[in-house]
Amino acid sequence: MRSDMLVSVLSDLSGTSADIEAAGVISTDGLMMASVLPNSMDEDRVGAMSAAMLSLGDRTAQELVRGELEQVLIKGDSGYVLMTYAGKEAVLTVMAKPNAKLGLIFLDVKRAAGSIAELL
Amino acid sequence: MSHDFDKLTHYAKSFSELTPEREALLIKVGEQIKPKLAGITEDFYQHLLTIPQASTFLGGRVESLKKTHTLWMEGLFSGPFDKTYTEHMYKVGDVHVRVNLPVEFMAGAMTLINQRLIGLIVETYGHDKEYCAQILVAINAVTGMSLLVMQQSYQAASLAEELEKFLKISGMSRVLFTNLANAYKDK
Repeated sequence: MRSDMLVSVLSDLSGTSADIEAAGVISTDGLMMASVLPNSMDEDRVGAMSAAMLSLGDRTAQELVRGELEQVLIKGDSGYVLMTYAGKEAVLTVMAKPNAKLGLIFLDVKRAAGSIAELL
Repeated sequence: MSHDFDKLTHYAKSFSELTPEREALLIKVGEQIKPKLAGITEDFYQHLLTIPQASTFLGGRVESLKKTHTLWMEGLFSGPFDKTYTEHMYKVGDVHVRVNLPVEFMAGAMTLINQRLIGLIVETYGHDKEYCAQILVAINAVTGMSLLVMQQSYQAASLAEELEKFLKISGMSRVLFTNLANAYKDK
């Protein structure tokens, strides 16, 4: 049931912008809780890699005295990966197109992360 | 961490060629050789103390190390060289990692021990060249097996230590690391 609600939040998030190509909610241990991913993506890898990146981002922010981590953004020539905490025990990962309007995506992701945190 | 010591014993023996005949020979000559091993230990540690990089690891512990070392050498001529022996050698390797002993020290030490054992065997059995050669091959086999097991342990312990450091630095939990590794297992 909760899984359905998480998928609903992710579907709403994907619906807010055509620039969002995939999204997932992952436990901080790297296990996928809910996702809206294209078939070509491996759920386990997206999950584990996202949690690992966020964990490393956390440590980097601490180590380089950047305060509490808000998000990790990766930019490649085929698009973006944005990772953020959704509460203390989950990670929200979003993949977006290379020409995505980041400002809007940041806002939508922040809202979705808040909703997910409440659900969890 | 659990290990299949039966498997490791077989693996180590396949490389060192420690056959049942050679094991039996080691035990047979043991009666004559074992009383002389304390002398070898003494000479071995005297030599180690002349190597600055090695002597720093020995400070204040030489006498107790000598006792342990002689007991281990007696084991080389007592057997059995089964999974219990392998497990023991594996733990010895672990201990060496914990005291941060450089990996080359084990091979270096085994070379020194072999050289001294060769001298002792030639001195004791040199009159019978064939028998002497058989004993030397058996000794080389058992010390080779011991070294291989210790190196396996060293490798595993070193990797575990490195992983521990990585997890601490990256902030990743062990569970997350395992999940990440599992996600990239061949599917």
